[in-house]
Amino acid sequence: MLLFIIRRLFFAIVLLIAVSVFTYFLFALLPTDPAALSCGIHCKPETIAANRIRLGYDKSIFEQYWLFLKGIFVGRDYGIGTAAFTCPAPSLGYSFNQHACVTSLIGETFPVTAYLSIGAFILWMMIGIGVGAIAALNKGKWQDRLATAFASVGVSLPTFYFGLLALFSIVIWFQILPFPSYESPLDNFPAFITAMILPWLVLAIISAASYTRLTRNGMLEAMNEDFVRLGVAKGLRLRVILRRYVMRQALIPIVTIAGLDFAGLLGGAIITESVFSLPGMGRMSIRAVVDSDLPVLVGTTMIAAVFIVLANVIVDIAYGFLDPRVRVS
Amino acid sequence: MKKKSIFGAIGLSIAASVLVASCGSSNSGGGPAGAPKKGGTVHILTLGEQIAHLDPQRNYTGTDMAFAVSTMHRTLTSYKYAGGDEGSEITADLATDTGTVTNEGKTWAFTLAGGGTFEDGSPITCADVAYGVSRTFATDIITDGPSYAMSYIDVADYPGPYKATADQQAAFDKAVNCVDQTVTFNLKVPVADFNYTTTLTAFSPVPKALDTGENYDMKPVSSGPYKIESYEIGKSLVLVRNDKWDQASDPLRHAYADSIVYEFGLDASVIDERMIKDAGDDQFAVSEGIQPENLQTIFEDDAFKNRRVDYLDPFVTYTNVNVKSVPCLDVRKAVYLALDRDALRKAGGGPYTGDYADGFIKPALAADYAKSKMLEGLNEDGTPNVEAAKAAMEAAKTSCPEVAQHAADGLVYPYPDTPVWAKAIAIWIESQAKAGITIKGEAVEASKYWPTVMAPDAVYDLARGGWAPDWLNASTVIPELFATSGGFNLTHNDADPDYAEFQTAVDAAKVNLDRAAQGKQWQELNQFVVDRLWALPGTFVKAQSIWGSKVGNAYQWGPYGSFNFGELSINS
Amino acid sequence: MRNHDSEPVLSVQNLQVSFTTDDGVVRAVDGVSFDVYAGETVCIVGESGSGKSVMAGSILRLNNSSTATTTGKILLGGVDVLSADESVVRGLRGSEVAMIFQDPMSALNPYYTVGDQIAEAYLVHHPEVSKKDARQVVLQMMIKVGIPSPEKRIDEYPHQFSGGMRQRIVIAIALINSPRLLIADEPTTALDVTVQAQILDLMMDLQKEFGMTILLITHDLGVVAEVAQDVIVMYAGRIVEQSDVEAIFHAPTHPYAWGLLGSVSSYGASKRGDLFTISGSPPSLISLPEGCAFHPRCVHSLGSGSRCQSEKPVLRPVGNNGSRSACHLADEVLVSIGTGTGAR
Repeated sequence: MLLFIIRRLFFAIVLLIAVSVFTYFLFALLPTDPAALSCGIHCKPETIAANRIRLGYDKSIFEQYWLFLKGIFVGRDYGIGTAAFTCPAPSLGYSFNQHACVTSLIGETFPVTAYLSIGAFILWMMIGIGVGAIAALNKGKWQDRLATAFASVGVSLPTFYFGLLALFSIVIWFQILPFPSYESPLDNFPAFITAMILPWLVLAIISAASYTRLTRNGMLEAMNEDFVRLGVAKGLRLRVILRRYVMRQALIPIVTIAGLDFAGLLGGAIITESVFSLPGMGRMSIRAVVDSDLPVLVGTTMIAAVFIVLANVIVDIAYGFLDPRVRVS
Repeated sequence: MKKKSIFGAIGLSIAASVLVASCGSSNSGGGPAGAPKKGGTVHILTLGEQIAHLDPQRNYTGTDMAFAVSTMHRTLTSYKYAGGDEGSEITADLATDTGTVTNEGKTWAFTLAGGGTFEDGSPITCADVAYGVSRTFATDIITDGPSYAMSYIDVADYPGPYKATADQQAAFDKAVNCVDQTVTFNLKVPVADFNYTTTLTAFSPVPKALDTGENYDMKPVSSGPYKIESYEIGKSLVLVRNDKWDQASDPLRHAYADSIVYEFGLDASVIDERMIKDAGDDQFAVSEGIQPENLQTIFEDDAFKNRRVDYLDPFVTYTNVNVKSVPCLDVRKAVYLALDRDALRKAGGGPYTGDYADGFIKPALAADYAKSKMLEGLNEDGTPNVEAAKAAMEAAKTSCPEVAQHAADGLVYPYPDTPVWAKAIAIWIESQAKAGITIKGEAVEASKYWPTVMAPDAVYDLARGGWAPDWLNASTVIPELFATSGGFNLTHNDADPDYAEFQTAVDAAKVNLDRAAQGKQWQELNQFVVDRLWALPGTFVKAQSIWGSKVGNAYQWGPYGSFNFGELSINS
Repeated sequence: MRNHDSEPVLSVQNLQVSFTTDDGVVRAVDGVSFDVYAGETVCIVGESGSGKSVMAGSILRLNNSSTATTTGKILLGGVDVLSADESVVRGLRGSEVAMIFQDPMSALNPYYTVGDQIAEAYLVHHPEVSKKDARQVVLQMMIKVGIPSPEKRIDEYPHQFSGGMRQRIVIAIALINSPRLLIADEPTTALDVTVQAQILDLMMDLQKEFGMTILLITHDLGVVAEVAQDVIVMYAGRIVEQSDVEAIFHAPTHPYAWGLLGSVSSYGASKRGDLFTISGSPPSLISLPEGCAFHPRCVHSLGSGSRCQSEKPVLRPVGNNGSRSACHLADEVLVSIGTGTGAR
């Protein structure tokens, strides 16, 4: 087991290096010139050249990457003369668009994304599995049909329009909730909840749909298993059978997918963050793309990659834990 | 001034001017009449993720300048705090007056009135003004700002204060020198309207001890009635009262609201819906720019009549013609006559996007604007006059057959590779074809568009253009766009035999200290260009804004085409 | 021969089970009645789809209640399973009546150790027993069913066991509460031939030790010959013949039973020298043939217009050895087999 984890962590580090290299070199191939981008119509060639030096793009791509790697361990200096400053280690660079070190930008935006993801995740697992279980237990009845309808509508709902609709109806038209304005839960917990409840619900309802389907089908499949029949033949109560026999089996694929979905969210719930104006990491990375803000782009991509790699490891371990048949010895 | 929108649509813009009768509305304030009250919180809703630059020396965007000037960055001179024509007049802010000019326009002096303080309580000194201007020269840190100081101030090889040697700094201190509280600017060239230049926040004071270079953008030191309480990009900027600001020291600002909150990163349709609904705190909100699909709702319903405005912003769009490669007025006439301006405007969103321009100087430059006499045969409704265009092409075959052939073979038109422009180019190609003119569109990656067409070896016959004056004097329009020394001349018009005459007239106008006479000169020069079609006027861009029912003093401040944010008040 | 003074352990009376499917109503069990007495081993034989597994499932009410309709009576120690409360039936399951399923590979819950699963079966009916004590009971049971080194294997998972060993675990689960009746649904079919005999021997040994009654469902007539006292032959959801084991092999009264026995080379053919097969395939349970469901495949059928095609034969005593048969021509068949003039 230890060896397994070490091996996976080693693989994770290799992958992260690959992701950062890939992001760097892909960026170099983009047609957009970041030095010209902020320069506008007054852009004289010398201004662009100065800007390129300021942003560090005058250096070769290899040197840029080396400085980036070095910055992670020893920090990085920026500016000139009396206006010099440092982004301390672990430095992922400095965003000239947002006037801040990338590490601190991620430190500010990541918690927002994390709160959004965790809350939505808990809700959607509860809704998805709950509705799916009700459907499975009432197969063919109205509850099942309603749940199936929920699943197929939910899956096909575009997050953007559903989010806007929720925002328009609940906040603007009926004013059940104030306009979401993000506050840290550590500063103002009630305001945090008020701001998050709608995005949580929107994300949860949309994501829950596929889990409803997974749970329902997984349970129905499990219910046909011989071992479930044996469980009934043992004289076990329905509750016990559902928990120890049916759910146990139906949850395994769900855990895998949920882990990856959750990790994907941690990399940035872009659309939800945009619709609800949450200052999260997803929106920041989109802005970085638009602004050609390479340091932020690399930073957020790496954080997203970290979570996806981490989620894969956790899912693998959890899988072994949940299913003795694939348990590693 | 620079407009973000310059990269985008034909005429998407977020600015304002109510100077013009054609606007239809002279509404210069929301809410009931009477003196605005103090107190309350004004909200500004925006889809932007941040203020482009709050660093005064880097701030160069209409709305952002209107915001910063009126709330936290005082300048030597300023436009009057009023809507309408009055708002286009300059007046003293930190200085005692609008400056003293000597040395035939090459020396300008301003004396600080005194009493002004920064938010830390320290007095604003002449040295702070000089230091602020000096930052402009540090182009490796202070990016994106206007470069007028560098063009005008008589100092060579000054790299800005961060890495200047003692000698370099001494040279700058000589060019911009302080005696007591009088700052004197020694200029390389005569600048008749330098006191307009000093309305830019690039001439705002910065206390040297508190300068943080690159990071000053996030927490600039306020010299105005408000200061930053918190600024989180992507979330909000909260301004609260600067208790060190003394109203008695400030001839312009009233600072009615207790605080001003900028809400960033909102979806455009969410902003409109909130403004239309006008509930809760949104009654205290203002927003610039309205989505096309909501214009009808807002402008055809009287319920909004006291909290909406449709105005000309400072922006003009036009098409540059490369006079060197198209040295034939008949061909240029044919192109202009054949152009389906109506279709272009419709593609951009219809009449709300702008009025057909009659030149390059907007009516907002009241002293410099006069209605031009347009090309004969040009339809006023913007539709193409194919017959007249064909006739002009026929004439060209005799007057300049080579150019006519070139036009028939194909005029090269580079355009930014965006969906909006792809649509526009399609209209160009289609409408010109009817007059026998071929357009060869060449897509250029959007961020590289300007560097590409402005490169000395750029090959093109037509190129888009868009401009807004940096201050209310056509000296920032006509010379910039059409003099060879101008920063944005894409016409290669020095190939025209008439250019020498033009240049002489421009030089004369630039140094004319008689503002009224100068205005006349600009009007004539505008007509001069229109007659020769070095560029084809497009539209005087319009913009629309809406504000909450409890917002007062929501006038459009002409020079910036924007609300005067610092003057917004809350009606209880 | 069949003379029982005591009450039957299991009495099935006019059991009908039908399933509603998208294609129509499947009459899986169509009026089945029989009794099983203490200590007996009764075998139910028939082809796949003859309804024997569904019938067995309904004894413990294991069939899916949302799609299956079950009528009739199933008396277990005087309780009618079909009309009893769920809690009553649950009390019977695994304690009075235990079940063994066909495929030991899928019958065990893959997520728990075998020890857990055997203990679970014990504890559910002995809630007063501690887990520690239950473990001892489980270990004893594992020894009884012949699991080597049970101390070690008790904490292993099903996938670590071979098929034969798994079936031993299933048997351990079934027998942990010393049930009166064991229903074994093809317990050896999925196993290797060598293991089949071991499992069968184990069941018989344990039957003696526990004094159980066994209802064994199989299509393996070799097994039947070895263990059964009484044999029930099912075809298309109905009992077509019920006889003691001697009679069924020597004097079958139903052409289907005759054909079935004929199809078993190991026993029937070698004894008679001829290998008989039943031509055709079992009928669809959604649309059974009119009259005797077997008539399309029956070599003795009287042909069109006859009773065979119009009248459903009832199960009735035939001959003098207590056999019952559902063939209009039972007596004639008996004679034809007796005289050795077989079909064809």
